[in-house]
Amino acid sequence: MKKIVTFLLLISVVSWSQNKQILYNFAAIPQSVMYNPGADVSYKWYAGIPFLSGVSANFGSTGFSAYDLLADNGVDFNTKLRNVIFSTTAKDRMAINEQLEILSGGFKLKSSLGDETDSYLSFGLYQEFDFLTYVPKDPLILALEGNQNYIGKVFDLSDFNMKAELLSVFHVGYQTKLKPNFIVGGRAKIYSSIYNASSTNNSGYIYTIPASDAVYEQQIYSQLQLNTSGLASYFDSNNEVDAQKDVTKRTLLGGNLGLGFDLGFTYYPKDNLQITGSVIDVGFIKHSKDVESYTLNGTYTYKGVVPNFNQQNDPGTVFQDFKDAIPLDTLNVKYTTWRPAKFNTSVQYSFEEERSDECNCTDGNGKPTYKSAFGAQFFMMTLPKTPIMALTAYYQRKILKGFHAKATYSLDSYSYSNLGLGIATQAGPVNFYILADNLLEYRDVTKANSLGFQFGLNVLVR
Amino acid sequence: MKSSSLKRFVFLLFIGMCSFSCASDLDFDQVNDIKIEPVVVANLAYFNIAAPDFIRNGQEQTVLADIPTVDFFNDKFFKERLKKAEIFIELENTIARQYRIDVVFLDVNNQAVYSTNFNVPAYTGSINKVSRTEIFENAQLDLLKRTRRIGFRVQMFAGPALTTSSPGNLILRSSATTYLVVE
Repeated sequence: MKKIVTFLLLISVVSWSQNKQILYNFAAIPQSVMYNPGADVSYKWYAGIPFLSGVSANFGSTGFSAYDLLADNGVDFNTKLRNVIFSTTAKDRMAINEQLEILSGGFKLKSSLGDETDSYLSFGLYQEFDFLTYVPKDPLILALEGNQNYIGKVFDLSDFNMKAELLSVFHVGYQTKLKPNFIVGGRAKIYSSIYNASSTNNSGYIYTIPASDAVYEQQIYSQLQLNTSGLASYFDSNNEVDAQKDVTKRTLLGGNLGLGFDLGFTYYPKDNLQITGSVIDVGFIKHSKDVESYTLNGTYTYKGVVPNFNQQNDPGTVFQDFKDAIPLDTLNVKYTTWRPAKFNTSVQYSFEEERSDECNCTDGNGKPTYKSAFGAQFFMMTLPKTPIMALTAYYQRKILKGFHAKATYSLDSYSYSNLGLGIATQAGPVNFYILADNLLEYRDVTKANSLGFQFGLNVLVR
Repeated sequence: MKSSSLKRFVFLLFIGMCSFSCASDLDFDQVNDIKIEPVVVANLAYFNIAAPDFIRNGQEQTVLADIPTVDFFNDKFFKERLKKAEIFIELENTIARQYRIDVVFLDVNNQAVYSTNFNVPAYTGSINKVSRTEIFENAQLDLLKRTRRIGFRVQMFAGPALTTSSPGNLILRSSATTYLVVE
């Protein structure tokens, strides 16, 4: 019990949105193509510094923060725990997302004559960790309070809903200008799942109601399933396991494989007006290696001990009857998981055209360039229950040559006061960026419902 | 120059924002203080004997008995965390005969750890209900936790003869309210 609580607390300290609202459409950063394969990036080439080109972590917890549970404020822990459980709903969730680029690069393609074209190729390998759990509110209340004060309430077992995955992604993207003002791009992805555990399609209930025969009518109906891949071999004590070796091997396409794609575009109806859109991670993973699933399926109606006065067979025993009615089964069946698909779109208005005494004021295609822009973005991501959505307003400015900043204000389910700031610098060929959101939460990180940051280092030649 | 000092200023501002960020004191050790006290109610036992069930091979059975096994007191988790129990037993009679019902909780050596009995009057037009709630704590509770079987004995007193078409039922309903402490 303590272990479970500690684990829940740990994951609540971190959490997530996966909304990369600062990086999206921030063209001074080459990694922006990862969120829109049709992003308007125009470098000769870039190469990420291995393991440092893209590091990001996002935490999110709707409903409560670490402070709510763990504050050193003299309030009894059990009081805080009760307050948290009773103030959350089954739609509240906790999540972590972490991404680490291992390799990344991109370059402008040349024509057969050696001229630069309008096409751009990017590729790489990154590792991603995803964790999401909803608050299993009904089971938690049942564990906390018992059923005495809940006669007539149906405790919903579908509140058990979680998934966790560590995977690597090989990707290659291509973008081209269909017209001078219209860029389209796509990215193909091969997923290699290292570890997966998911339990997202549960149903069932437990209830106690007054009965006409026995004192209560008590029933459990359970359709619970936890799928795992890449983990079963660790549970077998006869197996010698080397997790480090497994992770390395599975990162390099030795895991459970899947396929996916990203699509995106950038369109300029006018020189200073830009519209973008993308869908990211439309894909699936087939889990067939090292799979093990656990199920608790069945129905059990409990009347208590029922004597049999006819002197026939013993009526059996309660616990055994229960175990027979809802057996814990272990299966080895293949399963498929879908990647959480993300959808982004933005509209941007640019102003402050750059003057000719400061720079070569076109982007090479005769289009003027602008110092400042403001715009709005919309983000949506699929989740097992309801999709998550966020709306962002932003202001982007080229403060100096080689120094860009983007400030964001986002509304999402975690907060209405999410301010973010990102800077990207270019000193010679060295491109560095750092982005952080929920800046107001830094006043007291323990009270944060959501935090995210990203940074990276690239070599980039324009 | 201007450019690099501005860059430095913004960069320091950014770093400053992060380093001046605060964190309230968190006490992770308090997780060890976790103590949850669920109160679980559940059926304990149930039977329903129709009047004709007292006739076997054309003869009235004046005594019916059975000693079913109960296995939940064997469960270590439950046993260690059970701090108090209330057992409710109710008898309802709509048969025109008087009954005595004995309920005996037996340990592994068939020794009684708790017993109780009920006298239920014969039905004369209004339903007879007799009930009792027993509270088990401390030594009484420790005895109860040794229960492995529960014996039920129904004794029928003399009265108007029953036939296979006699109306009425003798019903036992029992529930337990268990107070658990998990820490």
